[in-house]
Amino acid sequence: MELVGTVVVLVIKSVIFILGMFLGAAYLTLLERKFAGHVQQRPGPLHVGPHGFLQPIADALKVLTKEDLVPDNVDKVLFYLASLMAFVPAIMILAVVPFGDPFTIFGVEIKPYITDINVGLLLALAFGSISIYGVIFAGWASNSKYPMIGGLRKAAVLIGYEVALGFALVGPIMMAGSFSLREIVEAQQNIWFIIPNILAFVVVIFCVLAETGRTPFDVQEAEAELVGGYVTEYTGMKFGLFPLAEWYIATFVLSAITVILFFGGWNPIPFLGWLPIPAFVWFFLKVFLLFMFFLWVHWTLPRYRVDQITELAWKVMLPLALANIFIVAIWIIIFG
Amino acid sequence: MHLWIEEKELKEIKDKFPSIAINKEENFTYIQVKKSQLLEILRFLKDRLNYKMFIDFFCIDFPLHNPRFQGVYILFSPEKKKRVAVKVWAEDNSLPSVISLWKGAKWAEREAWDMFGVKFEGHENLVRMFLWEGYKYHPLRKDFPLKGYEEVYLPSLNLRPGEIPAHNYSPYHTEIPTMEDLERTQKKRMEKRNQIVLNWGPLHPGTHGTIWFLFDMEGEYIKNCDIILGQLHRGVEKIAENLTYTQFIPYTDRMDYISALCSQVAYVNAVEKLLGIEPPEKAKFIRTMMCELQRINSHLLWLGTYALDLGALTIFLYAFREREKIMDIIEGIAGIRLNSSYIRIGGVAKDLPEGALDVIKHFCEDFSEKIKEYETILTKNRIWLKRNVNVGIITEEDVYSYGLTGVVARSAGVPYDIRMIQPTDAYDKVDFELPLGTVGDCYDRYLLRMEEMRQSVNIVRQCVKKLEKMKDENYIASDNPYVLPTLEEVFNSIESMVKDFNLRIYGEQVPEGEIYLSGENPRGELGFYINSKGEGRPYRLRIRSGAFYNLQIFTKLIIGRTVADAVALLGSLDPVVGETDR
Repeated sequence: MELVGTVVVLVIKSVIFILGMFLGAAYLTLLERKFAGHVQQRPGPLHVGPHGFLQPIADALKVLTKEDLVPDNVDKVLFYLASLMAFVPAIMILAVVPFGDPFTIFGVEIKPYITDINVGLLLALAFGSISIYGVIFAGWASNSKYPMIGGLRKAAVLIGYEVALGFALVGPIMMAGSFSLREIVEAQQNIWFIIPNILAFVVVIFCVLAETGRTPFDVQEAEAELVGGYVTEYTGMKFGLFPLAEWYIATFVLSAITVILFFGGWNPIPFLGWLPIPAFVWFFLKVFLLFMFFLWVHWTLPRYRVDQITELAWKVMLPLALANIFIVAIWIIIFG
Repeated sequence: MHLWIEEKELKEIKDKFPSIAINKEENFTYIQVKKSQLLEILRFLKDRLNYKMFIDFFCIDFPLHNPRFQGVYILFSPEKKKRVAVKVWAEDNSLPSVISLWKGAKWAEREAWDMFGVKFEGHENLVRMFLWEGYKYHPLRKDFPLKGYEEVYLPSLNLRPGEIPAHNYSPYHTEIPTMEDLERTQKKRMEKRNQIVLNWGPLHPGTHGTIWFLFDMEGEYIKNCDIILGQLHRGVEKIAENLTYTQFIPYTDRMDYISALCSQVAYVNAVEKLLGIEPPEKAKFIRTMMCELQRINSHLLWLGTYALDLGALTIFLYAFREREKIMDIIEGIAGIRLNSSYIRIGGVAKDLPEGALDVIKHFCEDFSEKIKEYETILTKNRIWLKRNVNVGIITEEDVYSYGLTGVVARSAGVPYDIRMIQPTDAYDKVDFELPLGTVGDCYDRYLLRMEEMRQSVNIVRQCVKKLEKMKDENYIASDNPYVLPTLEEVFNSIESMVKDFNLRIYGEQVPEGEIYLSGENPRGELGFYINSKGEGRPYRLRIRSGAFYNLQIFTKLIIGRTVADAVALLGSLDPVVGETDR
């Protein structure tokens, strides 16, 4: 009986998380378009709903009702699988991301996370790595030169940054002594991990930009060189899933993990703890600010060349991440 | 200003080669040589007399003469700032190729083969330039009709069975290339030697128009490259032979559609010089001002698209914000935004409207601030530097050999600017500096264009100051017999009406003669060679396109670099397909 209860609760939570993420991602597109608009001194979407507020729904309807073209010579199985492979792992990371401490409403304890397994962070990294198969499949299955080059570029970039990201995350794990994201947050009640881990934070910022394919690392779909990169042959919702997964869901989830690792998760901002603000508001505020930072970078900078990106990964980011481990080790010896 | 070779040097050549004939005129001085001596004389001119910069090569068709085709080479000496032309008759329909002397002749010779059917002995790959392989005709020959030969059966797709087509409907069409034709063209240009051949274009967001690049790639590195032009070829030179001089002005707009006013001014100046018309002072200043506004406009479009190509999306909209203001100014003055057709033989089409100068003055003040804004985002940006510095280095030798002009030549440190060398209009009365590059890479070209915008603002300011004092002066020399009268004059006097009628129907009866005159387009030297036989329309009009010659060096510079660099390099060479293809 207890098992059934757990399963029902899990299913309900998963549905809420996935629906919330879908709706959230849809409105993140609006946020990005508005943000880009104001950066570029234009108003952004304005006409659907009040101040363009219903634009994401119109976009979704448009993308869903579009004719679904599949070119003749594609590998059909991989072609369909690719868009799922890009999308599903990105949303599965949510399973291990906690959004706050357990709390009680009407006598029922509610845990605002799906699971709290002791290797949560490793699982998140693993899901992140799986999503690159989507990109490579898309590039290969399209049977076209531009997607092929785009997919291979992305693979080259990801291999470099996965390594650096892995090493960068070692610092916070060493300080918290746990892989569980919830325990990492609890360990930051006094001091955020950004303090000794500043180098790791820089590395993680670069890695998030590279993994989500945002400028200056958007080589995989550099539209001036490769038309659309690996999504050139895709149409309709199959096309829509790629940017949704990469630009919004992955960026959001990785921002959340970064906040958990370096900015104390749902702990209040120092000296503002007396404010009557619930924990998850703090958490979302931080995630939102970080997400906006990524948007800001995206809409300001030009893009690197692919060889420069991989060079940066191996020659700068990896040594930085290793140096961070060294610094944190000394920090732990001194301050215990 | 006189720019042709001097008497002393002509004599030196004559002493060395007694068999040549020299024709010295004010507008066009040429040496008539025999085919057997051509290479020798060209080498003498290049090495001994320092006429080392290749400007242009083209052919002229004389159907009644034997041999039928005449080739014309135009060379330039950067030290002496003098030009010389060499003419040669193509005996047996062929000429020796001059690629061994100037690499820039490669495309010009291919164009001559394409348009006239003149063969070139020793050319490395003599294929068509604009048309596809397998096309039967050479369209610039005088016996090729303007309309072409309608011989392909192409019934209308909209015609349903049972319907009766219009009385003049013909299902026959001039030949159009089929897929097989295009495949053959592609195979002829480049052989596959490495991993993949990437067709970059003809319709591709990175190519700025319809250029078709072929990249033979090893991984991401380009090992071999060729360019197929001609998707926008409209035969402007052929059209010119069938129009009066005034009627041709709108066609110059549509060549380099981003800097239409500059093209018009270059063309009209050539015609005016041939006719001996002196436009009024006010018209000269208006032309200079409009040219410089157009130059800022063109450079802004370049900046926006260049940054867009390198991934900086926001700069694109910032640049267009200012470009829009210039567009509005041009619209206010000329009536049309893009293809303005504002310049007329003998002056300009309309007087400046009231308040135009105030608007321009405000724009100049505002714009200096905006350039700083662009530079804050880009100039010292590390990513921008990484993408631009040491990419596509052009040397001084390349400039002379390929006939590079404009910003591309100046980035290599060659002070070649037609506004300085041969000032037309009011350029000799305004003050401006000529920025020069040191390295010759993409970053230098970026810096030069930014500096040129500043200089252009400076010129516009000076012109505005002068024009404010010339409010009531005449803007077109309509008392000249070759110049169209203004609308007011046509309505008020019968003489003007008759003159208007005659000029519009029969064209300006230009006296017999030749001229080569060029203007400094934002894309390089835009030269017009006009050969007049004393009729209302030119016998031959050759357009020396700066973008055409500048694009040619792309195939050399891209070897060994990646596709991402191809975008940066193409952007910094800044070709406009309307001008390369004509």
